[in-house]
Amino acid sequence: MATVKGTMKGIKFIGVDSSDCPTTIIRPTSRGILLNLRELWEYRDLLYLFAWRDIKVRYKQTIVGASWAVIQPFIAMVVLSVFFGKLARVPSEGISYPIFAYSALVPWTYFVNVLTQSSNSVVNNRAVITRVYFPRLIIPMTTVITGFLDFAITFVMLIGMMLFYGIVPTMALWALPLFIILAVATALGIGLWLAALNVRYRDVGFTLPFLTQIWLFATPIAYPSSLVPERWRAIYGLNPMAGVVEGFRWALLGKTHPPTMLLTFSIIVVIALLVGGLYFFRYKEDAFADVV
Amino acid sequence: MSNLAIRAIGISKRFLIDRPRATNAMREFLEDVMRAPFRRFSSAIRYGTNNHSRRRSEDDKYVWALRNVSFEVKCGEVVGIIGSNGAGKSVLLKILSRITKPTEGYAEIYGKMGSMLEVGTGFHPELTGRENIYLGGTILGMRRAEVNRKFDAIVAFSEVEDFLDTPIKHYSSGMNVRLAFAIATHLEPEIMLLDEVLAVGDGAFKEKCLNKMKDVASEGRTVLFVSHDMKAIENLCDRAILLSKGRIVINDETRKVVSHYLSKDYE
Repeated sequence: MATVKGTMKGIKFIGVDSSDCPTTIIRPTSRGILLNLRELWEYRDLLYLFAWRDIKVRYKQTIVGASWAVIQPFIAMVVLSVFFGKLARVPSEGISYPIFAYSALVPWTYFVNVLTQSSNSVVNNRAVITRVYFPRLIIPMTTVITGFLDFAITFVMLIGMMLFYGIVPTMALWALPLFIILAVATALGIGLWLAALNVRYRDVGFTLPFLTQIWLFATPIAYPSSLVPERWRAIYGLNPMAGVVEGFRWALLGKTHPPTMLLTFSIIVVIALLVGGLYFFRYKEDAFADVV
Repeated sequence: MSNLAIRAIGISKRFLIDRPRATNAMREFLEDVMRAPFRRFSSAIRYGTNNHSRRRSEDDKYVWALRNVSFEVKCGEVVGIIGSNGAGKSVLLKILSRITKPTEGYAEIYGKMGSMLEVGTGFHPELTGRENIYLGGTILGMRRAEVNRKFDAIVAFSEVEDFLDTPIKHYSSGMNVRLAFAIATHLEPEIMLLDEVLAVGDGAFKEKCLNKMKDVASEGRTVLFVSHDMKAIENLCDRAILLSKGRIVINDETRKVVSHYLSKDYE
């Protein structure tokens, strides 16, 4: 929407919009489905503010505060190291098992956090959605940004562990941003679908905990993807987090092979999920205020 | 028509009052997801006929909250919307402020619009008064720079200077209302939609708000104002619209409409 520059008297309008041309048109459903990225850009202050609010509030009234960000993946690493690394003797590609697991848990934890929060985001912001207009896409997008706080904290710990184990990253490190983008896109792609569905079907909330649990085992976190037989590798690659996690290991620890095959599949799947998710969310958002 | 602010043509809104039976929920869910990519085609089929009936509408019960509402508001006019509970006043404001879509009809808005449909929209109880001014202001449509500029004026109006750095969950409800209203009165949209905002707060503060709103109105801002407070309506509005059961009963100068409303003979 172009803003209209008007005089305080509100009678004469100057600027881009002539007074014969409405600033806003209201009709039953949006014609076609447009993503309207320009409007999203105009509301960037709100995106920033929602993110700021969620970060400020996130660790209020907790004892250990932001340490929670590390505790979760750290405990998971200890558990995996004991049961999979020590007892089950799962191979870890010649890397010591704790860092093998933790390097995968860093993107995984980010993914699960963003997925969970974006899925609940529209329902949690019910009060604002039913009282004021703004592009609803801002709400799930916020969770991607707030998730970066926890991600940064877990990542610092990862760097600490790499120093401890004396691991020097190779040139592959330059590929790391690609995998971070891929993790963001995966979490947002699926989060958009679930957020829109959650408005109408609260079953989403009940499904999420075990969905993420099963997903954890379908992702090469506790084991290397080389354990998966070659002929199943393509299907395995349909899980975009497989590509993300193996990519993280390769970029940071440098010992494994680049997961080219997994990645090709992952990228295709993620683009489909994200584009589909954006349109599905836009299609559903007209009814959010009535249904939520 | 060059000085038009709002034009609404045949606005109707239908709500579902009966949830579909549980056995249908699964079917409906699958339809929902499967149809999404083909929506443009299927909507043509569904809405192609004149009766607007969806395929599963036989199972559902609907109620019309608004029916064929048409009116115009000129720039600088202050228009009151009155009617008993459930007349459709709030739904009308929600449609005009784009929170919800009309089922039928069309509206044009000329100019930047702001709305305050509830006191304290977007406030977060864990955040301080200072932080909530930024949050509330941005949610109601201000830019961050704009909030910065008006911050002192907002604080002065709200009379909560001493508690700016206290989380608002410790505020009394009166303080909450004052802070919220202080933000709302410092919005500067060309068109302002207000819903029952004066129904809260004590006498003195109400008076202050009323005066502030008079200032706003005299500046030539267009205001659409929903209230049950006939004194406030008569005080502020040039014109009023009486709604009953989702339809416009009368749309005329305030005095006539209010007396019509009070006489109750429209029902």
